[in-house]
This record gives sequence, C-alpha cells and structure tokens, in this order.
Amino acid sequence: MSAGEIRSSKAEELRVVHQPLPRHDQQEKIAGSTRYAGDLAFADMLHARLVRAPVPSAKITRRDAATAAAVPGVVCVLFGEDVPHNVIWVDVPGQTVEVAALKASMEVLATDRVRFHGEPVALVVADSEEALGEACDLVDIEYEELPGVFDPAEALAPGAPAVHAQGNLLGEWNIDRGGVDEAFAAADVIVEGSYRTQAVDHAYLEPEAGLGWLDDEGVLTLRVATQVVEHYRDVARILGIPDSRVRVIAPYVGGGFGGKEDMTVEPYLALAVWRTRRPVRMQWTRQESLLARPKRHAMTLRYKTAARGDGTIVGQEVDITADSGAYAYLSALVLLYSSVHACGPYRVDNVRLRARCAYTNNPPTSAFRGFGGMQVVFGYESQMDLLARRLQISAADVRKRNALARGDVLPVGQPIETEVLLAQTIDAVCDRAGDKPHPSRPRRAVGRGIASNIQSYGRLVWLNDSAAAWVGWQLDGSLTVRCGVPDIGGGQASSLAQIASEVLGTPMERITVHFGDSSLTPLAGTTTATRQLLMSGNAVYEACTMLRAGVLGAVAEATGQPADGLRLEPGAVTAEGFEMDLREALVTCRRRNVPIEALGTFFGPKGKPVVRDLRADRVFPDFTFGTHLCDLEVDLDTGKVRLLRYVAAHDVGRAINPRSVEGQISGGVVQGLGMALLEEVTLDNGVNLTGGLFQYLIPASTDVPDIETVILESGEGLGPFGARGIGEPPIGPPSAAVASAIHDAVGSRPVVLPITPERVLACVDAAGQPGWIP
Amino acid sequence: MFTRAFRYERAERYSDACDLLRDHGEQAKVLAGGQSLLPLINLGLAQPGLVVDISRLAEGRDITVTDDGYLVLGALVTHARLAADPGARAAQPLLPAAAGQIGNSRVRNRGTLGGSLAHADPAAELPLVMVALGATYEVTTGQESRAVRAEDFHLGFFTTGLDDDELIVSVRAPVLGPGWGWSFQEVSRRDGDFAMASVAALVRSADGLIIESRVAVGGVGDRPLRLADVETALTGCPVAAPAERVGPIQGISPADDTSASAQYRARLTRVLVIRALAEAAGRAGKEAE
Amino acid sequence: MSQALTVTLVVNGRPVTRAAGAHLTLLRWLREEAAATDPKYGCGEGICGACTVLVDGEPVSACIVLAAQVDGAEITTAAGLLERDGSLGPLQRAFHTRHAAQCGFCTPGMLMAAAAMLSTGHPASREEIRAALHGNLCRCTGYGPIVDAVEAAQQEGRR
Repeated sequence: MSAGEIRSSKAEELRVVHQPLPRHDQQEKIAGSTRYAGDLAFADMLHARLVRAPVPSAKITRRDAATAAAVPGVVCVLFGEDVPHNVIWVDVPGQTVEVAALKASMEVLATDRVRFHGEPVALVVADSEEALGEACDLVDIEYEELPGVFDPAEALAPGAPAVHAQGNLLGEWNIDRGGVDEAFAAADVIVEGSYRTQAVDHAYLEPEAGLGWLDDEGVLTLRVATQVVEHYRDVARILGIPDSRVRVIAPYVGGGFGGKEDMTVEPYLALAVWRTRRPVRMQWTRQESLLARPKRHAMTLRYKTAARGDGTIVGQEVDITADSGAYAYLSALVLLYSSVHACGPYRVDNVRLRARCAYTNNPPTSAFRGFGGMQVVFGYESQMDLLARRLQISAADVRKRNALARGDVLPVGQPIETEVLLAQTIDAVCDRAGDKPHPSRPRRAVGRGIASNIQSYGRLVWLNDSAAAWVGWQLDGSLTVRCGVPDIGGGQASSLAQIASEVLGTPMERITVHFGDSSLTPLAGTTTATRQLLMSGNAVYEACTMLRAGVLGAVAEATGQPADGLRLEPGAVTAEGFEMDLREALVTCRRRNVPIEALGTFFGPKGKPVVRDLRADRVFPDFTFGTHLCDLEVDLDTGKVRLLRYVAAHDVGRAINPRSVEGQISGGVVQGLGMALLEEVTLDNGVNLTGGLFQYLIPASTDVPDIETVILESGEGLGPFGARGIGEPPIGPPSAAVASAIHDAVGSRPVVLPITPERVLACVDAAGQPGWIP
Repeated sequence: MFTRAFRYERAERYSDACDLLRDHGEQAKVLAGGQSLLPLINLGLAQPGLVVDISRLAEGRDITVTDDGYLVLGALVTHARLAADPGARAAQPLLPAAAGQIGNSRVRNRGTLGGSLAHADPAAELPLVMVALGATYEVTTGQESRAVRAEDFHLGFFTTGLDDDELIVSVRAPVLGPGWGWSFQEVSRRDGDFAMASVAALVRSADGLIIESRVAVGGVGDRPLRLADVETALTGCPVAAPAERVGPIQGISPADDTSASAQYRARLTRVLVIRALAEAAGRAGKEAE
Repeated sequence: MSQALTVTLVVNGRPVTRAAGAHLTLLRWLREEAAATDPKYGCGEGICGACTVLVDGEPVSACIVLAAQVDGAEITTAAGLLERDGSLGPLQRAFHTRHAAQCGFCTPGMLMAAAAMLSTGHPASREEIRAALHGNLCRCTGYGPIVDAVEAAQQEGRR
C-alpha cells in the first residue's frame, strides 16, 4: 500500500502540518519501552479483583466474605455497603419526566439486585494474584434468579419484567419534519427495509488495567487506561472526598474506541487504595472484559424511503429500537446520534423518525466509535441501494442526486454550513477502483458495493465543550506543551506538537508534550466524539498564537523592526535582512514583561439543549463525509466471502499528519469490516456466551485486503488549519458496502449483521442461484 | 494468566512421567506443548495440582519411514516440524498438509502431535487425519505398551481411550501408496480458527474409476467420523464425477454454536466432501499418469 | 501453596536467574521477574499475539508457555531488536517510518513475529507477509502499514 492519495482544494503553505512525520510517541512504543497502565508496579503493591454475578437477573440473597477473607494474603473483601457513596449517576438528557428519569444510576458494587451477567458484587484485595484467585472463588454469594427480559422490543411491550423500577423505556427521540404522509402519497416509489445490527465489543488489545496509590500529600492517584481523566470527579464523589484530592493520570492507552470512556477500573482501584492505604494494581482479564464491559448498542432499524422516479428522495420514515442493556451509561446520547444521522448524508425534506432505547438484562451498552451514527449507515445505505435497483439508477448517481450541499438542512434542523465533498468522494473511490474483477474460478461470484456516510465530529453543542492547553518556551528555545488530552493511539499528543511546531517554528524534536494528567495538565476533556483535534488542537493553536504575537511584538518594540515583517523560524526570529537568536528574543520578552508561557482555551460551538422532540438549529459542530467501495468474491457453495479490494475516501478538511489520517481510516475500516463479517457478542437469554478471543473473532491480517485511502481536503473543517475529525467516520460504511457487494454478487441482500457465511448462503438460496450442488 | 499455583515436575523419560501420573491421579495433568492445557488453566477451566512436563523428553521426537510402508512419528513432534518435514511430505502428504493448518505459527512451534491426539478436540485436524488414514497409536504406561487404532482411541468430546497413567509414544500411519490421491479441506471463519467442518479424503483410482476410498469428517460430531456409506457409494464411480454419488451426509451430529448452526455445518460438510473427493481423485489420476 | 523453582533465562542477551513460582507463565516471569514489560498480556489464550517472544529464535505465545519449560533458553523481546546504543533496529525503524504503530500495544509482539519471518531469509510477498502475521491481532492500524513496514525492512535487508 503506497501512501494514500491526497486531493487538496484549498492550498495553504504549511511547513510541518501536512507532513507525514513519524510520530514521536511511536518511537518508544516500537522500542517496547512505553509503560502502559499495567506495566508499572510498586514493590509493596496489592492486587484487586472483582467478583461478578454469574446470572443476568437475580436478587442477591446472601453475601458472606468470612471464608474468603481468611485466605492467607487477603487484605479485605468489600461489598456495596463498604463504598461511601455506592452510586454512579448518568445523565439521561433531553427526556421529560414523563418518559424516564432525568438521571439514571447504578451501584459501584451491587447490594440487593443484579441486572446483567457479570455485574460486580464484591471487590477482593490481596497481596498476590494467586491469593486473589483462591479468595474470589470463596466469596459466598447466593442469588435467587428473577425473570429477565432480553430483547428491547419485548422489554417495551406491556407486562415485561421491569429491569428498573421506573420501567424499561430509557429514552426516546422523535423527529417530525415537513409532511411525511403527503410526501409518501405523492411518491413514485416506496422502498421498505428492516435491518438488524448486533452487540459488538471494542476488543482493544489492552484489557482494562490500572495502578493506584496515595501520593505524599495523600492525594489518591490513579494511573489507568482511560479516555477521560475527568473521571477524577466521579471517583471523588464515590469516596466522598473533595475533587481536588483525586488525580487521574492517563498513560498511553492500548486502544479505547469508546470502551474506556466510561469508568472501568477507576472506582474499584480507588476503593482499594482508599481502604488499604497501599498501592494497588488491577488488571482485568480479557474474558472479564468480553463478559462485562459495555458493548455497542444492538439495533433494529426499519426504513421506508419514498422517492420520485428520478431517484430524488421525498420522504423517510425511520423506526429505531436499541438495546441499552441493564444500565443507562450513555445510551440516550447514542440514540440521539442515531436519530440525527439516521437519514444519512442526503437531503430529505419530509421525515418521521421514532427512536427508542430500552433497558434489558443484557450487558450494558455505551460508547463505541461511531456512537450510534454507525449502525444507521447500514440502514440508510441499504435503502439507497434498494432504491437505485428499483429505479435502475446507478448506486453512485442516486447518492449524488440526493447529496447534501452547503445550505441544506438536516432533518433535525441543523443547516450544513461547510462545503460537502460527498460527490467527489464517490468519484474518488469509483475512479480508483476501475473495473470490477472477474471471478477467480467456477462457483464464485464477484460483487461491488459502495456506501457513503456522514458522521459528526466534536461534542454535542449544548454540552458547552471546552479544552485548554498550556504552551511554554524553555529558555533554550525548546517547547513544552501541557494538555489533559488522553492519547489512545490516534496520535492525539503528537498532533499537538505538530500544530505548535507549525505556528512557532520550533522543530518537532524540540517539543515535549505532557498529557493526560488531571492535576498537572489543563483539562481538555474526553478523547471521544472525534473531538480532540478540534478542541485541544485549537486550544494549542490559540496558546501558540498568543506566544507568537508576544515574542514578535517584544522583538519589534525592542529593535524597531516592523512587527508584521517578523517571522518565527527554527531557533530564530527573522525578517528581511534581520535575524535574532530565539534565546535572545526570549530574554527580550522577559525584560519587557512579555510572558513566554500561555494558556489557550478553546470553547466549542454552543447550542440549546435538545428535548425529546428533536428540533435544533445546531446539534453538532460539524460533520465529516465519505464514501467507501468494496469488491469481494463469494464462494457460492460455502458462503465464505473473500475481500478483494477496499477503497475509502473522506474529506478530512486538512490532514495534519497524512500518515496518521491514513492509519485512522485503515484501522476504522477494518474495525467496521469486523462488525460486518465476523464479530458478535453472543447472548443466550442474557447469559454472555462469548468466552474469549477464540470465540470473539476480530479481523486478522489475512481477513482484509490493503485499505486504499483517498484523502480529500476541502479546508473547511472547524479544527486547526481547516481540519475535520477522522477518528470515527471510517467505521460507518463497511457493513453497508459489504452488504451491497454481496447483493451485487449473488442477487440478494443480507440485512442482519454480522454477515456470516451462513447468512450469505441464505442470500444465495433466496436469489435462486443455479448450479448449486443439490 | 493469573492462575492458582500448581506444582511442576519435569520428566526425563516416559517411564518417569507415567509414574508421576500414577502417583498423583486426577490432580496431575500432562504438559507437552501446553497449547491446549495452558489456555484452559489461564481461563480457570482447569486447576491441576501438578503439571507433568514431558516437553523436554529425549524420546518421542523421531520421524521415520519404515520399509514396510509406514510413517512413524514420535508423539513429541511439533506441528511445525511435521508440516515442514520433507520425509513426511513425501511419504504421507495428508499429514503435513493438515498440521500446517493448525492455529498460528506460535501454536505450531510448541504444539505436539501426541498432545493434539490426546486432547481430542472434535474439530482438530490431526485426529481427523489419523482416523482417515487408519493410523495406530503406540501408548505406554512406562512398563508396557499397546497399539490402539485411531478410530478406537477417539471416543467422544475430549475423551480418549487413554488410561490416567498412559501416554502416547508414537503414531504409525500408512504411507500414500501407488494410485492413491489425498485431500484435506476445512472451512473456518478465519484462517487458523477451528473448522466449522473438515474433511480428510483418500482415493485410489485405476482406469478412470474409483476403486477404493477413505473419507472422514471432523467438527461435526463428538469425534472424527468415517463415512462408510459414502465410501461404499463411491466404488466404481468415474473419477470425474464423485459429486453425483454423495447425497446429504448421514450419521453426523453437528453442533449449533457461536460460529455456525448445525444446519449450515451439515450443508458445508457435503460441499467439502465433494471438493475433497474431486481433489483426491484428481491427484490419484495424476499419480497414475 | 506456591512451589518455588529457580529458572534461568537469557533475556535479550542478559542472563537472569530467579526463584519464583513454578506455575508462572513465561509472560509473567519476564514481566514480573525480569523487568521485561514489553511483551504484553492481551488474552491469556495464545490468540492475540501481544505476548509473542522468540525462544531460541522461534516465536511462541509467552502466555501459554511455562517459564520452567524453557529454562535455559535465549529469549528475545522487542527491546532485543534495538541497536547497542539503544536506537531502533532496522525492522523497528521501518515500523516507525511507515506508521505501523498507533496505540502500540500489539507492536512488541508483532515485531517478534515479523522478525521471525524475516530471519528465515525467504523473500515474502505481501500476501505471505500477511499470512506470517495472521496470528498477531491489531485493532488500530488495519494491518496495511504493518505489511508496508515488513516489506520495507525485507527490501532493506536484501541490500
């Protein structure tokens, strides 16, 4: 795979930004010296492990720690009563009290009821892993199983067992725009489809882990694999201590994808440290992670799409039912994303959308790359293909005909304010792919599919998002950046260095970024929602802009040089016929009381909070658009699919580091292909049967082809230098592109994910393929 | 990974190992490659008191072809070695081909023939091929040995004819004779995963007709199964058209699980049997030329 | 009760002798006894490959081998691929320039799998490289950049 293609529409003279620089964090990772959350140890540390419920719905009738506590090496066994404030609150935004509680809660350790297989009930702390293993088996807990409900539609039907006292409807969103019934009545064609997506696990390579200790001031310090250092506040609340007495440090994280967005080990580590006053390490097993960490919401999507004979969409009716699992976590927000994104990157004037998420006794569901915007791609892109086939228009043309443009308004009411390069992304992948290949042998069929998507970047605007970053010169001209952003592998920290280098001229190797410390670095918010380039990137940009103005201004005043002729070069301030060593310039600043350190704060776009009946002129800051193309070959007798070719094009605004962008696209696509073809958290009446990586199948190197990338740069993003976010968008299209390609190959379309060989064979049968060995 | 403690003894000879097994009974587990046992221990599904390490025995590592037409493999031969050994590939190519499909390269570097056969996973490649070949296993108690036919050895899910103090020492399989062709087919969700169904087939042909065949299927029952009906139906069949003689496969009991349904597995088995027969017959034909 | 066993392993050229639990996997022994934290715990099943190390030159899953089983062996981890002065070795430099690491958690294991493949000396196509690495899972890069890096290192090695 040679370097991906870049097509820029707004040229800008950039020196460092836009260069495919090797990232400096990668050097240590490749040397093997990076210390992840599980790699540090204290000599006298203890170990902690959870005891979890073996059943999905039960009353806890008995809890006894005596035998476990007597195991040599065990320091304590804790139940819910030992937690000072045994509750974690989650906002359920936009819902009136008639629908659901405004806040939802869950216990840190369950006391009287468990609601999902794997729910934590006890915490054991011991001086060795071996003692822990023995003791955990000896914690005596009895359960009396209760009826449970394991399907969201059933959960919403009358008479379903109540997962929580207030009922099983957790949240709902409605969009009503224009006149749907009239539009449908006047339409030339109506296409209907029903789609199902499955529960999926993040399956990052690094299972959840952390180390906690009390520092010399008695501050509870947690060094944990997390996407959010701001959870120090949640920990403080649980322990009943001031926020300022808790510190969360995020080392480099071995993959997050939203799975380390909610708290994982934090509350338990904190509890163990706070109780024992000793350092404690917690390492979850992979099997524990697969069992109990929140998953991607499984959804049922029903679409009715009305169009004119020329392919123009005149109306959409969408019904979404999502499985929130046993606890709310971020479910209402995920469903909000689904609702806003549900009609795709297309202009639709008449929309009726009903989306609901329900509690069940399945594992909880929460954030996962794409955050609800991803599942709906399968729905709306399948519909586009069905429409194209019905009207005998090409897949590319039907998308271009309906593509959003600047000035169009999304169904929720938000106008598109930037250029949309959707048509260009469609052309890019089709041009790149050329002709469809022929089958490699008899009993094989080749198919091609395309899929486009829209995915927001930046957080919901009413959350008053902000990020801060501190940038300061050292006296020798090297640069220090401090920013609370966690780096989960997408080059979050490295991008900040690149931006600082661009603005201040400092060479990359003279810039040090300290990140991810809730006490020592200015808070920059979550590494989620594809927001960090926009938020912390802009914060760094702002701080650097202030510094630049300061130093050039000080030099101008001191020397009489015109300020607007001065430039910052590596190690010097220069102008036509003038040069001053940077170190001297910095001394000049100090002499003139000009700061050589700056705190930049970037405030995200604002908006009003939304309510259940969704209508807002702004929900997200902005959106990223893209199109993917997939060629594949189907074995008509076994249903196995071999991916031949995959091309992905996105408008990223500006690629701060093109290699990083390609990497995000390539990784996102493969994760999306995993959901399309391989991955499923298998539940049997709430019992999670996914026992390990031998069962939870994620793509390996031989399961995917080279992912070819085409980067388009409109320069119209809200991030620094016109960048758009790219972390999440690439994960959306793959399942739709694969389904379309299979439809093309065999004549019938899979509508349930994952697309297993068995489901492919069902399509082969449905299409009445000739020649099948009878 | 973070398991209970267990004791460890390293055996120098088969006799020592068997003694240890006798002394400790159910508490003891044999450790050869460890590629099946250690994952079970790490997942908490096995909690032995003692692990008897036979991975460094001097015995059990030879690969030889006898004058009377048998390939003899020591039980401690690793899958990687079996897959690559030129002598084995020449003598009985079905075996190295199957061994090369096991797991990934790390598993193949450590996993052993004896370990795989004794573990008896119904979806495993080597037990299937041994049943297809009609191989025999030499089994020892340290004091006496006996020979067991593969089809009598594999009794059910992870169940074999091994007594608690017995170890497999070597395996004896017929070499591929003149006029014979072979094929190994398996389909899994990803490369190296356990097969949803697998087939090992051998076909002997002459003058364009199948004279004799041995067909066994794996992963669709509690152990590898010979398809006697299919073998009978194939006799006298033209080499080019085995498909016509193979109907729905009888006598299998495929599982419904997270990978695939029983129905799909049954359908897949038939497809793979037909493909295996076509490939084996094709190779037999070439042999004859 | 844990049985103590003395095991000696030569870790990246450095002999390390420790008395530790006989039940310790090679992975735990390296991480807890030999201060070699580059091989990672990812699954404990031998599937993800994050714990891949070389034992006498052959790649193994350290999480499903007991340290006791390989007593006396030479163990190579990612740190063992560095130059004497601590700078990245040729394969590692190829990973660096081709952005073959994002979160980096799979990287130490991936490097060892690649190093083992390259040490056979057989020139491998991109497909063969993918096949050699198929036992090492990565969730971030999509594999393309890793294949690029190994291909580049292979070409570099031939010069």
